[in-house]
Amino acid sequence: MLDPERKNPAVPIEGNQAAALEELHTPPMRLQFGPSHPATHGTVKITLDLEGEQVVWSDVEVGYLHRGFEKECETGYYYQNIPYTDRLNYSSPILNNTGYCMAVEKLFGIATPERCNYIRVIGCELSRMADHMLCIGASAMELAAFTPMLYLIEGRELILDMIDSLCGARVTTNFVRIGGISADMPHNFPEFARPRLDRALKLFEDADKLLTENPVFRQRMEGTGYLSREDLIAWGVTGPLLRAGGEPYDVRKVHPYLVYGELDFDVPVGEHSDNFDRYLVRLEEFRQSRRIILQCLERMPDGPVDADDPRVRWPGKGRVFNRMEELIDQFKLVTEGGMPPAGEVYHAVEAANGELGFYIVSDGTGKPWKCRCRAPSFSNMSPLSKMITGGQLADVVPTFGMINMIGGECDR
Amino acid sequence: MSAEKPEEKAPAAPELSPLLEKVLARLGDRVLERHTARGDDRIHVARERILEVARILRDDPELNFDLLLDVTAIDYFGQPDDFETKLQVWDQNRAVMRRLPQRRHELVLPPRGPEPRFAVVYHLTSTRLAHRLRIKCRVPEDDPKIASVTPVWPAANWLERETWDLYGIVFEGHPDLRRIYLYEEFVGHPLRKDYAKHGEQPIQEYVGPGAKEPRRPH
Amino acid sequence: MAVQVVKVRRPAATFSSANPWIAILKGLWVSIRHFFGNLGLFLRGRQDFAIHFPEQRLVQPPALRGMPVLAQMADGKERCVACGLCEWACPTSCITIYPAETADEVERYPEIFDIDMSRCMFCGLCEEACPEEAIIMSRQIEIASYSRRGSLWHKADLLVPVDQLKTRTDYIRRNYER
Repeated sequence: MLDPERKNPAVPIEGNQAAALEELHTPPMRLQFGPSHPATHGTVKITLDLEGEQVVWSDVEVGYLHRGFEKECETGYYYQNIPYTDRLNYSSPILNNTGYCMAVEKLFGIATPERCNYIRVIGCELSRMADHMLCIGASAMELAAFTPMLYLIEGRELILDMIDSLCGARVTTNFVRIGGISADMPHNFPEFARPRLDRALKLFEDADKLLTENPVFRQRMEGTGYLSREDLIAWGVTGPLLRAGGEPYDVRKVHPYLVYGELDFDVPVGEHSDNFDRYLVRLEEFRQSRRIILQCLERMPDGPVDADDPRVRWPGKGRVFNRMEELIDQFKLVTEGGMPPAGEVYHAVEAANGELGFYIVSDGTGKPWKCRCRAPSFSNMSPLSKMITGGQLADVVPTFGMINMIGGECDR
Repeated sequence: MSAEKPEEKAPAAPELSPLLEKVLARLGDRVLERHTARGDDRIHVARERILEVARILRDDPELNFDLLLDVTAIDYFGQPDDFETKLQVWDQNRAVMRRLPQRRHELVLPPRGPEPRFAVVYHLTSTRLAHRLRIKCRVPEDDPKIASVTPVWPAANWLERETWDLYGIVFEGHPDLRRIYLYEEFVGHPLRKDYAKHGEQPIQEYVGPGAKEPRRPH
Repeated sequence: MAVQVVKVRRPAATFSSANPWIAILKGLWVSIRHFFGNLGLFLRGRQDFAIHFPEQRLVQPPALRGMPVLAQMADGKERCVACGLCEWACPTSCITIYPAETADEVERYPEIFDIDMSRCMFCGLCEEACPEEAIIMSRQIEIASYSRRGSLWHKADLLVPVDQLKTRTDYIRRNYER
């Protein structure tokens, strides 16, 4: 249902009207959209030149949340950087934890036990669900639909409750460790999680009912923010945006990590590559994530959750308290950090917004020589200017909402 | 696991991964070095030829690297070319310290290698063929310039701006090389190793359009 | 490569999409259902979602990581031996320790043990690093203060008797034998 007039709003105007417009013609108006605009959920400045309602030129400026993540990582031990990764994409922190720790594990050449992988997948998918709920809720609220946002935030709270029972914090999780996870999941977690997942899905379906058929929402989403599949690939866009363009690129399927290769789930793709398809892809991904979690809860194996590798994983406290060797080991590991061999790795996971990669260069000491985060939000933001130029001013808001720029990740 | 001997670790002619075979067949002598470590494939090319290499890698149907994931740089400030040498020197130093700690002044610094200081790193992948490749180009300190790959992959636009901002590497031919995270008046490039983490960066006076009149002295 | 793909479909053009009123009425039906659901819960004296904070408290799971505190033993002394591992492990270096010695059985103790709560990010690495189970993430989460100086917690403020930390110690002891 693409409306060609919306994609190309320069509708010719004829007759007396054209002459009158010629007379009334003024230079384009410069509008500063942001940095803290109530209709954007992120700190970003968009400079727009407007001819009436039409955007003729735009420039996007990020960097208002730059905290020097990479510089900070270079001065901390490998284990000390895990809490910082929570602050990258703060709406799905476990995904960042997992990405960083798996990159370091690849550097060490460690394989984590099966149970650890399953729990990590549960954490990742819970984070993805929370992220999609926040993205859809906040975008709907920016389009003046307040009720779905309340339902989705309530559902997100249920998911954060589950994350809370896993690791003891709702947002700043610090859950994954190099070679393991911080704690095994509670023994009653499946019984705790299943009703909450059902309730979250019910709330999600309600929001879906409110939004998907709503004519106002559809008119603002359909056909806006269009970018062709080739352009999306050329601009380095990944995640739901690329999949809404019809390209089934999902790191979970293309380079399976953890246990994603054994799990049964589908990759949703769209065909119109506009905001409404991005929204629909996120809806479907939420349902697939729930499916993955239920499969993991069923198949959860028994066993240890930590790799038995004395180079990285701190010894159990029971042995630290009672034995000299483990005490010395603990002191060495804390004060020197685990020392990986010299080399460099790139490891990517599929975060909620796209491919989240960590590129770590090690010089053989306990601190990374370079720790680079390939942030999906940053690459997804770069074609924003291209998406909104030529459209209406009102289309900026849904486009920006569906890109789901997270300041902590984009600006690092 | 048996103890690995150094000659086993670095064989004279390492096995080529299937991807590197294809890449080498296509690029020929444009590749200066190639490595396969921990499942990642990496090639080194000269910085003058990066644009040419990028075009071949994108357009060749067997390689088809259409998605540029990442552009960044590494600062090998005062480091030998490979970190292995540095580790060996450190081990020697540690041995000296263990035997005669009072002869601390005899410790040696790892020798500085002849390679240039910076390396620009590109990560590529193909959406159709699902392989990944890393390209490295060394860039010297006194002339930190490299051709921009924006004409090949528009995705490089912001990534190169970021690399210029944080490392001070100039991308020639870039359409809009401005700072992206920091403000235009910022002095220095913070991810360089000689930029102190706790060094205070004074807030610079804004001088652009619309700047206020300078304040009169009291 | 064959990826399991599911195509997302837009809602088909039905009677309701041709008549926006129907879609809006459908949405209203959802809201009304929620309204009466919540009303019913309220009349039965149960609240579904909101928690009136100072009077009611959220039930936190046993895994909760609150602010780090020092374990105080039965004789009133701290268990800490001032080894400095937590200081070292802290990513934000918010812990300051000055050790001292006594003639007791446990010779070392921290003369000064300060935690700058304005820098602490509740990551729990100090607790994991501690070889004495002396610094423990408590269930205390209300740490606001009226001044900046108030967010610097000294040893006397941080000492908490061990039996009050039982929930957390039980939780972390689960993972001791790994």
